[in-house]
Amino acid sequence: MTEKDHSSDDERTLVRAAQQDDMAAFEELVARHRDRVYARAYSMMRNEEEALDLSQEAWVKGWQRLRQFQGEAGFGTWMTRIVINLCLDELRRQKRHRSESIEAMDEDSGGVERQMPVVTVNPTSGLERAELRQRIDRALGQLSHEHRTVLVLHEFEEMEYKEIAKTVGCSIGTVMSRLFYARRKLAALLADLKRQDLK
Amino acid sequence: MDWEAQLKLQAFLDGELPEAEAREMADKLAREPESAALAAELRQTGALLAGFEEGIRLPESREFFWSKIEREIARPEKAAPAPPATLWMARLRRFLVPATAMALLAIAGFVATRQSGSPFLLGGAETETALADPGAFTYHDYASGTTLVWLSYPADNELADDEEAVTVE
Repeated sequence: MTEKDHSSDDERTLVRAAQQDDMAAFEELVARHRDRVYARAYSMMRNEEEALDLSQEAWVKGWQRLRQFQGEAGFGTWMTRIVINLCLDELRRQKRHRSESIEAMDEDSGGVERQMPVVTVNPTSGLERAELRQRIDRALGQLSHEHRTVLVLHEFEEMEYKEIAKTVGCSIGTVMSRLFYARRKLAALLADLKRQDLK
Repeated sequence: MDWEAQLKLQAFLDGELPEAEAREMADKLAREPESAALAAELRQTGALLAGFEEGIRLPESREFFWSKIEREIARPEKAAPAPPATLWMARLRRFLVPATAMALLAIAGFVATRQSGSPFLLGGAETETALADPGAFTYHDYASGTTLVWLSYPADNELADDEEAVTVE
């Protein structure tokens, strides 16, 4: 028996077929969204292996819960929400294993970002896009996972403050301060990298 | 610019302020260079991040990645592991039960020895511990012709709650 070729099917058709246990349709959905799901996991975890494992787990969960997908949001968004929740679970699990305390981060009281001078980065001057991406990647890696998570949810997942607060399990005030800190620290880190680059 | 004003400015840029407050903030930005500079920095950070994830690619081929997912889907759901507390308690009980039994038998043996002057004799009865299996005890009652073999550990299931006893007439 030959499997049906789904490569030209639209997303709604693929989802409906996959909900009827058509694995070939689901495989096509995986192929179309795997980079996006992996990229979201990578942005949150900053570790290729963990991002791979969690994105794979997200797809398995996606298959198991496919009948719950009603189509209010796009399938890709539904899948990124699954991988985000898995990443948050993993980050919480890792945090329990570390002695790191979020209260020690000086974030809710303002802290260092209040005194940071405003910096200017010109992303187009003298930097190739790939090089700039590498620098952003490194700068993101220097944020704590709590700050990075809020930034990723806002900038990449385009969540509103309220939704981020609900997803992460903190107050809207904490979301605002974490986001502010993350943006200012990122700007400072990139400004510094730029200065080094010009030497 | 105080902390609250900085967060309010950010909320304005993120479209999270109510309309009236947003109008006030727009006026403030036009008037205050400090606020305008901070707004420019925050906007710039957002611009830098735009499209960042688009450059990230899954580092495995379509076929290989799918084969792993397919294998996981086909795998039967794993049985939930026993809670760690249960395992810990079971291990402790496994140690404590024979230790307690040994201690009780030692006390009984000591008392009998003191009373009769003969080791391990308790009014026509005898208790033995097999050296090959320190968890097994044998009780002989010569008067009634009864032998009781007492296994102080669960025989097949290490989480079994009850000790097992076998009686041989």
